[in-house]
Amino acid sequence: MPKSYVIETHGLTKCYGSFEAVQSLSFRVSSQRITGFLGQNGAGKSTTIKMLLGMTHPTSGTGTILSRCITDAKANREARRDVAYVGEDKQLYGYMTVEQIVRFTKSFYPDWRSEIESRLLKQYRLPLDRKVKALSKGMRTKLALLLAFSRRPALLILDEPSEGLDPVSIEELLQALVMAAADGTSVFFSSHQIAEVERVAEHVSIIDRGKLVMDFSLDDMRQSYRRITAGFATQQLADRFQIHGIRKMQASGRQVTLLATDNADEIVEIVRSMEPVSIEVAPMSLREVFLETVRKGA
Amino acid sequence: MLWYKAWRESQARFLLSACTIAGLCVVFVLFHSQGAASAYRSRTYVEYIWRIVYKGYLREIFALLALLLGVGGLRRERDYGTAGFTLTLPVSRLRLVSIRAAMGLSEIALLSFLPVIVIPALSPLVGQVYPWTQALEFGLLWAAGGSFLFVIGFLASILFAGEYTAAVVAVTVTLGYSVVADRPFVQRYVIDVHDLMSGTGTHHFQPDVFLLVGPLPSAALSIILLIVCSSVLLAGCITQRQDF
Repeated sequence: MPKSYVIETHGLTKCYGSFEAVQSLSFRVSSQRITGFLGQNGAGKSTTIKMLLGMTHPTSGTGTILSRCITDAKANREARRDVAYVGEDKQLYGYMTVEQIVRFTKSFYPDWRSEIESRLLKQYRLPLDRKVKALSKGMRTKLALLLAFSRRPALLILDEPSEGLDPVSIEELLQALVMAAADGTSVFFSSHQIAEVERVAEHVSIIDRGKLVMDFSLDDMRQSYRRITAGFATQQLADRFQIHGIRKMQASGRQVTLLATDNADEIVEIVRSMEPVSIEVAPMSLREVFLETVRKGA
Repeated sequence: MLWYKAWRESQARFLLSACTIAGLCVVFVLFHSQGAASAYRSRTYVEYIWRIVYKGYLREIFALLALLLGVGGLRRERDYGTAGFTLTLPVSRLRLVSIRAAMGLSEIALLSFLPVIVIPALSPLVGQVYPWTQALEFGLLWAAGGSFLFVIGFLASILFAGEYTAAVVAVTVTLGYSVVADRPFVQRYVIDVHDLMSGTGTHHFQPDVFLLVGPLPSAALSIILLIVCSSVLLAGCITQRQDF
């Protein structure tokens, strides 16, 4: 069965004057799984999401969201019927009460699931008569999630969802994402919090300075990504380590550190054949992969 | 429900405007018998009402309120952080803009007709009579002039971000327009909405009796209607191209 993608972009670019916020971004997000969109502050995550949702017009390039063209206003509007978005600051209409904003949002989605709404209202303990502006950020996030989940979206997009939340609220949020994915919703969320991406995501796309620098599944990372540290009696030439699968090589005196994203076993054998004094092979965490990737661009 | 949203967003400004206009109408009518008429050098009650309401303070206040009612929309929502929520609803930007405009223009129409109700209704309390037909005709002129001023605020808030920038720009543009429209060499080519609202810019105003006589200036009203509709359409087109 062919793999289906909920998001696809081709050469997506956004310029603000001479500044390129997103540079020729081409990537795909598979359906029915959680994809983390990782990057530093200002890397271009929010701009990409805004282009996907039709809030911002790309300077060039194109893309699809739920197979509908993002640059076609009508198609994008159609796609938004099946997409839920939770923005970074989770601001909702402060002048409405919880009940009013639920009723307001419900009116746009014929497939609204009242049983989910009732369950989440109870679970999140949201006071129906309280004005949205009187809610804490944690409560606003829960309300935004309620509005998102009650419409049973095919795709849930969240921009820095844990920003400004306390640890308990973050935990509840991550659990909600996992449950949504288990129910068949594709989840795409941007973050610069590596730990939470590593906890819930199945696939990670790393963006740095507007460019996609890595795109991999976390299972692949755990299985194949290795840090190989070898100590030699004499200083080694960098040319000797031009081996398939090595993403980065760092030499410090007589010690060489290799980051292998593929072909780790063969790389270790080749390094062993160079008769090192010591060799250490360790799996890599997402934090290491991320830092090495974005530092590489520095 | 977009109507509900548009109403809730303009509710406070509209109610404040309505209270101001109705309250001032009440004060102007009731204070007529306490020397206010002589202070405005009015020989008759009709002249007094014209000088203080349709030509004077109340018209100026109405003009300012109409401008401020036009301010708001998606740019303002971006400042408040709610634009993301609004723009991801499955509705077109043109629909968002047109519903906000329709709500604002309806509110302008209601404000225009407050003096129509209050002045003739309260006049008997001070032993005076103000003709309902006159009030109604001035109400129509105010609705047209107010709509014109509303779209200035509306367009300013589409083009300029910032809490107060759009309001300041709208007031500045209106002042500039008022000055230009008053110039003798421009008067014959440009409709002065202030004169239209006071009746002095129409051939139907009789300055000796301070009454509108004959049919309303349909050509001027049609041009204003055209300008208002075109401006709302332009606002929709601009909004569709904007980044949020």
